[in-house]
Amino acid sequence: MEAPDEQLMLAYRDGNAAAFETLYLRHRGRLFRFVLRSVKSRATAEELFQEIWMRVIEARERYAPQARFTTWLYTIAHHRMVDHWRRRGLSLVELDEQDPPGDSPDPARQLEAREALARFAQALEALPVAQREAFLLHEEAGLSIAEIAAATGSNAEAAKSRLRYAVAKLKAAVEDD
Amino acid sequence: MTDERDPKVSRRYRELGAEDPPAGLDAGILAASRRAVETRLAPLVAPTGRRRWYFPVAAAAIITLAVAVTVHVERQQPDAESITPPPPSAPESRTDALEAKKDSAPQAELRKAKPAKPPATPQPLSRAADAVQERGSADAQPESRVRSAAQAPARLLGQVAKAESPEAALERIAELRRQGKHDEADKALAEFRRRYPDYRIAKEMLKKVERQR
Repeated sequence: MEAPDEQLMLAYRDGNAAAFETLYLRHRGRLFRFVLRSVKSRATAEELFQEIWMRVIEARERYAPQARFTTWLYTIAHHRMVDHWRRRGLSLVELDEQDPPGDSPDPARQLEAREALARFAQALEALPVAQREAFLLHEEAGLSIAEIAAATGSNAEAAKSRLRYAVAKLKAAVEDD
Repeated sequence: MTDERDPKVSRRYRELGAEDPPAGLDAGILAASRRAVETRLAPLVAPTGRRRWYFPVAAAAIITLAVAVTVHVERQQPDAESITPPPPSAPESRTDALEAKKDSAPQAELRKAKPAKPPATPQPLSRAADAVQERGSADAQPESRVRSAAQAPARLLGQVAKAESPEAALERIAELRRQGKHDEADKALAEFRRRYPDYRIAKEMLKKVERQR
């Protein structure tokens, strides 16, 4: 039976480097895809991904298993993403209300619009940041509504609303196929 | 947990692929995690370095203390002028015998002061030492001062013991002798001999401190 994430993180906090490696390998793919599909630029995604893990490493002394490790991990990721969007000139309100700049459909992608997958990817990219984040946290990271709310610093109603809007838009893109 | 997933959306999302971070990034992050643990152990290593200072500092403290004690002891030694050649052993032994005989009276008083202790075989010098120790205990416990009347000889011995020099102690004994307090003087003289066994009392001073027949 595999050790729970929380136990591994506590072991790492206490100096067990192997515990961190297990934890990292368990979460690296999902976290990377969460970041990559949030920013679209692979280089930026790699940079943010590394910074998130570095923050995990730095915060190990303060770690206390008050919630699932996944929630804690994606809370750190969320804060790092917010910093990223702020640096790009977006406010928290804009995260919820507007598409991030640079999200206008790429001409090359419009040419591939008939391909269902591309349409879906485009729809995902076109989502407002907060909705896309809620969708990715739910779909990729497996967080519940309450956990999404905790990770993003919002309430459950807002998290649920964002997730429903995101799923509805993506569903529309799928059904357009 | 409320699942807001739509099966079609979820399936299409999975079709996007499963991109993973590059191996180089993995290696960098894992190396950083190991370094962090190693640096966390740093405080455990640091005391080893600090311990290197403990021994020189401790040695310096011991040497300083030893020098201070040596200087203090040298200052406590009697002046060479007051030291006289040892008198013939016979008179001294006679004097000691006399003192032992005279100690019987203060011993009785000491036993009164300590009724809990069973009476022992008369041992004047050791009993006097006990009295000095009792005096020290009395200083540490104020309530025991209530019994000061019963402990007068012990207090006297304590005063002798606390005298700054043997000469001062002898002067005090001589003063007691002049005041006619011969029992106290005998007791103090016995304590003096116990404390300063190698001290040779000048003949003139000996006349002043010993009980004259």
